[in-house]
Amino acid sequence: MKPFRWIRRLGANEYVTAVGIIAVTTSVGLVLRAHLKITDIAMLFLLAVVIVGYRSRRGPSLVASLLSIAAFDFGFVPPYYTFDVHDKAYFLTFGVMFAVALVMAQLTARIREQIEDAREREHRTAALLALTRELAGAEGLDAQVSIAVRHIGLTGGGKASVLLDHLRGDGQASRWPEDGLFDSVAVRVAATWACDHGESAGWGTNHCAEAEALLVPLQSSGRSIGVVSLEPESPDRVLSLTERRTVEALVAQAAATFERTILAQGREQARLEVESERLRTALLSSLSHDLRTPLSSIEGAASSLLQDSGALSDEVQQEMAEAILQESRRMTRLVNNLLDMVRVETGDLAVQKEWQPLEEALGVALLRLEERLATHRVETRLPRDLPMVPIDELLIEQVFINLLENAAKYTPKGTTIRVSAWQGGDAVVVEVADAGPGIPTGDEEAIFRKFHRTSHVDQAGPAGGSGLGLTICRGIVAAHGGRIWLERHEGAGAAFRFTLPLQGPPLGAPPADAAA
Amino acid sequence: MAPPPLVLLIEDEPQMRRFLCATLRAHDYQVVESASAREGLAQVAGRNPEVILLDLGLPDRDGLEVAREIRRSSRTPIIVLSARGQEHDKVSALDLGADDYLTKPFGVSELLARVRVALRHSALPPGASPEPVFKAGALRVDLVRRQVFRGDEEAHLTPTEYKLLAALIRHAGRVVTHRQLLQEVWGPNYADQSHYLRVYMAQLRHKLEEDPTRPRLLITEPGVGYRFRDGEV
Repeated sequence: MKPFRWIRRLGANEYVTAVGIIAVTTSVGLVLRAHLKITDIAMLFLLAVVIVGYRSRRGPSLVASLLSIAAFDFGFVPPYYTFDVHDKAYFLTFGVMFAVALVMAQLTARIREQIEDAREREHRTAALLALTRELAGAEGLDAQVSIAVRHIGLTGGGKASVLLDHLRGDGQASRWPEDGLFDSVAVRVAATWACDHGESAGWGTNHCAEAEALLVPLQSSGRSIGVVSLEPESPDRVLSLTERRTVEALVAQAAATFERTILAQGREQARLEVESERLRTALLSSLSHDLRTPLSSIEGAASSLLQDSGALSDEVQQEMAEAILQESRRMTRLVNNLLDMVRVETGDLAVQKEWQPLEEALGVALLRLEERLATHRVETRLPRDLPMVPIDELLIEQVFINLLENAAKYTPKGTTIRVSAWQGGDAVVVEVADAGPGIPTGDEEAIFRKFHRTSHVDQAGPAGGSGLGLTICRGIVAAHGGRIWLERHEGAGAAFRFTLPLQGPPLGAPPADAAA
Repeated sequence: MAPPPLVLLIEDEPQMRRFLCATLRAHDYQVVESASAREGLAQVAGRNPEVILLDLGLPDRDGLEVAREIRRSSRTPIIVLSARGQEHDKVSALDLGADDYLTKPFGVSELLARVRVALRHSALPPGASPEPVFKAGALRVDLVRRQVFRGDEEAHLTPTEYKLLAALIRHAGRVVTHRQLLQEVWGPNYADQSHYLRVYMAQLRHKLEEDPTRPRLLITEPGVGYRFRDGEV
């Protein structure tokens, strides 16, 4: 096909058609020459020129008009079959034919351009619309970039990629992606030029045309936030101006979207920083209060044991020693909670999952809380056929401890706390339910936030929680790929549920064990 | 009357040393203190203590190193003192030859129980056969006939369950790491298959414990291993 390409590019078909139409007109004229006046013949040729002019570009219609003048002169102006013209009036006819051809050509060319313009606009609008529609549904810069890459690649007929300045780290052109295309110096030069001048460069443009790809700057708010590259599918593909304009329109649309997202990210970052600053302050004030209270009891009890031991009855001395012990334990719990919180917060929770029966982690928690749970009835309902779960026993034990401690703290003495578990799909669901006053409606989510204490906090008296327990639980459960939520908040008491997905490295079956 | 047993305390925190010394002396132990690994190691050789309390967070040397160094020359029981969250170090120390551990903060009764168990185990000459019948609470294990009774009823254990129980009884009162148990019961190739151990442990609890979620005898030491509680601990 290649050798014929230039023919098609010149619109050779149109010339052939033009010559054909004039040839047909000449033949018809020759047949009818005896019956028609020469002015009618001239009209026929004029019609042919108009038809050609309507169908073709300027070139073919000029050819048609010259050919028809020649044919008219040769075949119909006496003397026949010579180019001699005896009657000078015919030169006027020739002139009119030529002028008509010119005007027609001009008119059709303009109409054609308008049609092509409209078609191009339509095409560009459709491409833009498709891109905009999909970008609107995308969340996050990565998703938006991949959508833009796909659309620009499809429209431009090549492989597109997006290079965002802020992703390059220092915003310097010295750091290019390790991606074949940008190894080329020409591409780098074109990309830099495009960003600096805010205009396309490279393949299909007048700047740095030797580059292997088209580089369109991502312009937003008057500055370049990056560059889009479009690599042609094959080296001999030609990018038309129309195609380039469409690609540029898509890039402009993408740039606006990217900038919005980047700005939003910046705002979110700033908001998080403010939030974490606020939390630090809250943490400090909460800490100083929660640590100072037990410390003052300890100091008071210990100093009076030291100074007044003679004056105190054995019973009082015993009581003071117990107070010291209780308060130290409370401080230990608080400090442990804080340390866990820091680990959850910093994502430093190294979860070491091992398949194990849930019973074991629960057992450890129950043993550890034996004293504190002595005031309540604790029922456990773990089915014997509950599958093993892949968990970090120390962490899940902590979840049980926090949930059980809360249940014991916020519910009246003598009530029942029930721990149950069952398999639900590809996860084990665990529930810790109490029979206390429940949790106020509207607090279902807030209780999982740091330092949040429910209005029932008074029930817990001076031994109130740090407001960290549930936040830690959520962090730990999330680190296991599960979810924790308040299943029931009022009525028959509060019920917390969490899931532990049954996903992990496969298990080898234990070696066979003969029954005894 | 035999002289009171000598305890070597290697701990850098002065307040912690003060508390430990006072407590141990009040319960008729002799105590030697050292504030650093170097000093402690010298006293292991010089004073020949019967129990060593070793803090893992010493300023001059890694506690694990010290444990290894002591084991090179002495079989004296080592009880490791460590903070919460150092489970990995505890396991390493135990696998290196330490006998037991205490997580700070701990109470007096815990401390004394660990020291007593350590002394009891070291009093047995190596290779001595244990009592033919072992008793703890309602549990009675006839180690010669390989029979296990709960009260008057015989509990039927599979060979693996029995081997596991026997291993725990051999170390009664002391913590045994997952690795140690797996090696003793299944063999060296299974040292990392801790889920075998957990499966059999659960089965043992269901056969021997009144309430398997609240074990009284077969205690989990989270992140470390198991302990057979024989009334002392």
